[in-house]
Formats: sequence, C-alpha cells, structure tokens
Amino acid sequence: MRKFNTKLITTVSAITLSAFFAAGCVGNDATPESKWKTGSDIGGGVTYIMDGDKTGPYYVNSDAHKMSISNGRVPTAAELKAWNVDLQPRGIGSPNGQGIPVGSGSVEEGEELYDAKCLSCHGDFGAGYGTYPALGNGNAYELNKTLTNNRYLDPEADGPTRVFGSYWPQLTTMFWYIRDAMPHPKSKTLTTDEVYALTAYMLYINEIEVNGELVEEEFVLSNENFLDVRMPNEDGFEPNIAGANSLPGVRAYFNNPANYGAQKVKYEERCMTDCQDESAKVVKIQNGGIQSFTPPLSVVRDLPKVKKAGIDVLEVYKNNCSSCHDGMLSVGSDDWANYTTKGIDKVYENAISGTDAGMPAMGGVSMSKENFKTLVDYLITGKIK
Amino acid sequence: MDKNKSNIDLEISDRRNFFKKTVAISVTALAGTSLLASQNATFGDGEPEILNHAKWGQVWGDPVSKNLYGVPSPYEHNVIRRNTKLLASGNFRASIAVTPLHESEGIITPNGLFFSRSHGGTCFVDPNEFRLMIHGLVDKPLVLTLEELKRYPRVTRTHFIECPANGGQEWRAPQFNSLQFSKGFMSSAEWTGVYIKDLIKDLGLDLSKAQWMLAEGSDNSEMGRTVPIDKVLDDAMLVWGQNGEALRPEQGYPVRLLLPGWEGNLCVKWLKRLEFSQEPWYAKEETSKYTNLKPSGKAIQHFYANEVNSTVVTPSPEKPWTHLKDGDMVEIEGLAWSGMGTITGVDLSFDGGKNYVKAKLKGLVLPKSWTRWSYMHKYKKGDVLLLTSRATDDAGFIQPTIDEETLVMGVEAVYHRNAVETWEVTADGKVNHVQIRTDHRETKGVNNA
Repeated sequence: MRKFNTKLITTVSAITLSAFFAAGCVGNDATPESKWKTGSDIGGGVTYIMDGDKTGPYYVNSDAHKMSISNGRVPTAAELKAWNVDLQPRGIGSPNGQGIPVGSGSVEEGEELYDAKCLSCHGDFGAGYGTYPALGNGNAYELNKTLTNNRYLDPEADGPTRVFGSYWPQLTTMFWYIRDAMPHPKSKTLTTDEVYALTAYMLYINEIEVNGELVEEEFVLSNENFLDVRMPNEDGFEPNIAGANSLPGVRAYFNNPANYGAQKVKYEERCMTDCQDESAKVVKIQNGGIQSFTPPLSVVRDLPKVKKAGIDVLEVYKNNCSSCHDGMLSVGSDDWANYTTKGIDKVYENAISGTDAGMPAMGGVSMSKENFKTLVDYLITGKIK
Repeated sequence: MDKNKSNIDLEISDRRNFFKKTVAISVTALAGTSLLASQNATFGDGEPEILNHAKWGQVWGDPVSKNLYGVPSPYEHNVIRRNTKLLASGNFRASIAVTPLHESEGIITPNGLFFSRSHGGTCFVDPNEFRLMIHGLVDKPLVLTLEELKRYPRVTRTHFIECPANGGQEWRAPQFNSLQFSKGFMSSAEWTGVYIKDLIKDLGLDLSKAQWMLAEGSDNSEMGRTVPIDKVLDDAMLVWGQNGEALRPEQGYPVRLLLPGWEGNLCVKWLKRLEFSQEPWYAKEETSKYTNLKPSGKAIQHFYANEVNSTVVTPSPEKPWTHLKDGDMVEIEGLAWSGMGTITGVDLSFDGGKNYVKAKLKGLVLPKSWTRWSYMHKYKKGDVLLLTSRATDDAGFIQPTIDEETLVMGVEAVYHRNAVETWEVTADGKVNHVQIRTDHRETKGVNNA
C-alpha cells in the first residue's frame, strides 16, 4: 500500500512536471503566459507548485509545509458511524450495497407522506409549484429523449426537461438527498423507511421500470432491490467518473478544450483584427428583459428612508409567504375556516412552531412574535391591522 | 448655531453688492439648517459646497465608542447584494444574492457584499460545537475542533469564487440589463486557512486507492461534493479567514473548503466532513445541477475550473456615460479572471469584437484571481460603441466568441458560459447589455458530436 508522505508529493509533482515539459509549454519568458506555472491541472488549467520559499507570486515558509503535524484525535467508532452515512451508487467500493441502509417503503406509503409533507412546495405528483423545483413530469424514458432539445436553432421550441427521472444518473442521490435535506424546512426528520417510501414514490411518478416492470402503487423499495434500479440517464454524462480508476479519463477530457467549447491560442497569435464572423449581429434584450430585482437597481447616494416601526405586511408577505400561500390557504380565503375552529391561538401556535404539512416555523421569517401574528391575521382575514 | 451671525453676514455681503443672486443664499434658504453661509460668500460666485462651511464640519461627529464594528456610510445604502424572484427556488433558501460589481473597487469584495448562495439557507454554526472529521482511506481518521484546525501553518491567498451559473441565464440571448446580475455571481477575497495536503500528512492516506474526496457541509441541505485527489494535493485549502476576519455566515462560517479557481459550489461551506474513497459519490449538486447539457444530449459532469473571463466594469448599464461631455478623457476599466490560471492580457474592442486593441493590466496580477485592466478613451458624444473585452490566461486559453462557444455547447448548458460579452454605448451615453451572435436558424447547425 502506498502511503502519502512528503516524498510522494514530490513524485506526483515530478510526474506532472515532466508531462508539462513534454508538452513544450515552459521556459519562454517572452510570452506573458509562462511566468509561474509549473504543471497542468485535472480541470484543464495550470498549477503553481511550491518551489523553495515561493509558490507562484506568494512567499511561503517552506519549513512549515515539510513538517508533519498532529493535532486533534481519532474519532470513536460511534462517531464514525454517526457521520459516515453517505451513499455511493454501488455502496462504498462494494457491489453488495454497503452504505445503503436496511429498510423498506412502498409507493402507497410514499404517496401519503408526499401529500402530507412535500406537496405544499413540490405540487401534485411532483409537478413543481411556482419556482419550487419539479420532481417529475411524466414518463422518464420519454422525457429523457428531450435532452437533445436545444433551442439553438429555434428559440421558440421546447427545451430539455431535466427532472429526477429523465436526468439524474443514480438513485442513491435521491435517497441521500431526501434523507439529509428534506423536507427542506425540517430536514433530517424522516425515518429510513419513510425515505424508502418517498424514494419509491419518486420512481412511481417518473414511471421508472425496475427489472423490466413499471413501478406501480404496490411497489416496495428496499435495501434488497435498491441496486436493481437503473436510472434512464445513467450513461448521460461525460467524462466517465464511474469505477475505481476513472481519473485518467477525467484529466484527458478537460485537457481537450474542444470537449467543452473552450478556445486555446498562442498569445502572440490571438486575433486582433477582423475577428468576428460576418453573420454575427447585435442581439438586444427583448421586452426589457428580466427586471424583477430586489431591491430595485439604484446607484443614488442619499440617506436611506427611515422605516416605520412594525412591519410592512404586504412586503413581508410577498417575499416570504406568497410562494406557497398564493396557491393554498391564500389571503382571506374561506379555507381558513377549517383551521380556525380550534381558536386563533392554535393557528398562531402552528404558524410559530411550524407544521408537518410544510409550514416552516415562523414562515422562516425573523421578526417578533407580535409582528408575526399581525402577518397571520392578514393571511386569515385579508385585512392589515 | 448662530443664525443671527449668519443673517448679518448675508446682509453685509448683500450691502457690499458682491453677491446679488448668490447660489449660496438660495441653497441656504432651502437647506434650512446649518445656515452659516459665512464670509466665504464674500469671495464671489461658486458652488455652495465650497463657499459654505460643510454642515458636518461644524458639529461633533460620533464618539469613537459608537459602532464598535464599523458599518458603511449610510449614503452607500444602495451598494448592496440583490436577488431576483426568477432564481428564488421557492423561498430564497436555495437561492442566490449577487454582488454589485458596478460599484466594486480593486480585486477584493467587502465581506458584506460577497455574493451569497446556499442550498438550504445561511446557517449559523456555533464555533464551539464545530467538529471536522477526516476519514475514509486513511490509517488514522481524525477529528479536529476549530481551535485545533487553526494550529496548522497558515496560508493566505487572494482568489475569486464564482458560481458557474454566472452569466448562465443568457445562453440564448441577453436578459439582464445590469452588470450586477449578468456577472455578479462572483466575488473575491483574501482567504486564510490551511492546505489540506498539510492537514493529512500524518494520516496515512492510501494513495494507491484514494481517488476522490467527499466534502460535506453541516447545513440544512448537508451540501456535499466530490473532489478529485489532484486538487486536494495541489492547492485545496480549508479556510476560516476572509479579508482579515472570520468568514461571514454566508460564506460558511466557521470553515469552508476553498478550491482556487473552481466552481463556487465545490467550495463547500459550513464544512463538517472530508472522506477519501476510490469511487466518486454522485451528490445532488453534482448530478441534478452543475452539469452542462450539450446538444448531443450528454451532459458534462464534474466540470471544475471556471474558464477565463472578463467584463467591462466602467461603464456599465448601472453607471453609464450620460454625464460625459464631448472630448472628455475617460478610463474604461474592467475585471478579468480565470480559474485555469493567471491573467496574461486583456484586449478591448469598440466594435463588438471585430477589432481589438490591447488594454493594460493594473495592480496585482495573481493566479486564479480577479485582475483589473484599463484603457484610456477620448469620449465622442454621439458615437455608438460596442465595448467587448476579451481575456487570456497562462493556461493558454482565450475567451471564445458567443458563436464559438455555442457551436459546441448549444444553449441549454446553464453553467460555465465564458464567451465575450458586450456593452452597447448609445449616442447619448446610455449603456445596454447586448450580444454579438449569429442567428443559427439561418446558418450553421450545432455540433452534435
């Protein structure tokens, strides 16, 4: 087993250096592009390794970087277990699904959970709501074909649909993200089985097939069949990063600018006259462009307006509440009657501490409880006190 | 304030007939306070700002005991980050607020104006409860407190951080008539922290297997990304210092990953864990997002470095040339940057990229850093200009034209758009964001390779 030590750093640097000299890019001070660079970087750029007491233009204390320093402590087994819960597509270097937790959940259970905890933002069947992201939009295999839609030739055409089913290459990503980041206002509160159920529901609304069969309502996802799920767009990405030795391919990919639309040129040979294709025209912003800037653009230098005490209810509503409440339990809506039967204090309480149905605590707004109650009153009655 | 004295002064000046219709008097009357027109009025015609004592110059200023952490002048209240509903992602918790580049100076962004992007909201980490765990393919896994992390030898570097979606709303056409929104998904700071390569030296990292490192945040979204070992052993840092003070919460307080020149989202904030592995992870923000769809239907994943780029900062749509007079000499100033290396030059075009002249670089020219550039221009009233800047870097890259870039990438890529961009200066000095590009409905197709 090779161990990482100072000597090894030197070896690695030597390899990149020799590769670099072979490419013939070093040494000519006449061109401005060769001042400090010492090697090539995996991302297509250059590196500036430490040389004596300098790295690039910066001085360094080279003694400090030669030393091996020990601080801290070794984590306990329980600590490692608590934090080492990430998921990799085939488990952590193992084809047996290591890292994928034991558990199960059905589409039906997932649907119930979804309606209770996710729908308020992500909409019916994951269709998205306002600017909240969509999770599906019909058959994933059909939508996968839209990835070649490019509004290059026709700006009015339909663009590509990049939702979970049509775009995401691995199922582990969805499981991991639901478990750690959802529901967004109350993350890391779902049980393992609930995460399985919601993941199963994601497969269902995207019409994914597992082992050749369409995922139906009775489908159960578990650690047993998790690795059987192959996403339609698994092979839709480049460079290939899968497997135990993919880095050489990644390095080669980014060292070819043609792969990503970049241009290389010798500095002295860059175009200075007559550089633009004749067909290129001035394209202006249409219809004023995007102007929904908050706060509005201004370069005026004056004293700020003094704000009144209390809150601007309409402004707070617009910025913090409207994205959900424009659509459900809207301002002054009769639907509120179903929620005020237990008294206004119960509504305040739910609004202040948040609910499982998607209401974030205090709506995610920072203000006094008294001001917040004014806001709640406005939502229910449509009137500003 | 001695109003009587002021009135007497005015009477005197009036009597002496030096000042029949003085600006000073009318302004004093309007202002209503601080009425000391003073004997300066007797000097003759001129601006009241000069002829009168300044109102702030005749009263006590604040005591030094006020604002123990300083704040900008209240007059600067419009120099702020801004956001747009278009990128709200629902409730501005997986969203972005962008930097007012049109008001930027030099190559450092003040911490309060540094662009703010999170995937679960800005979280507030208690530094006493901060723990960093390093584990995976190492002999000795490690847990560090913040104080222990800060004992490693410090490194201080100036680097920009750029969201790869900078300019990403404008693949198909210009949309933002604003420098802040068309290029402000980036900022720059002087960062202080440690090299990860120093941190892991005695952990026994198994380099025969370790290919990737997972960096994971402790925020609401547990934001994580996979980093190739090359960068970890090169210049990757864990930073806690930003422009001489602790990181701001929006930048990942107390510790974030810094991968100089690479996508901002790779520089994971509110860091809690680094794990080394032989295989990559496929975290959400490296699959569902931050991947570049090409016309072939394939998407580039793990797109690391922000390519060479530049913009004209002065003038801008926000700060046009409407106040200039014919014949004024004016500095055209801008920024150039590259996550691939060091800026080697910037060229400026007045005709939208047909012909270029060489601009001058200014100040410090540092690797993977903002670089200021400048060109002196004699303004001719009535001229319509198309100002296009184009930068080169020491990795050998030059900014492509929009056509060159879109021929390969199409227009659905969202990220890593670094083609040259153009300001149109109108006959009356207004500045508009335009693009110089071919309408490909009429000409070539796309490269589907």
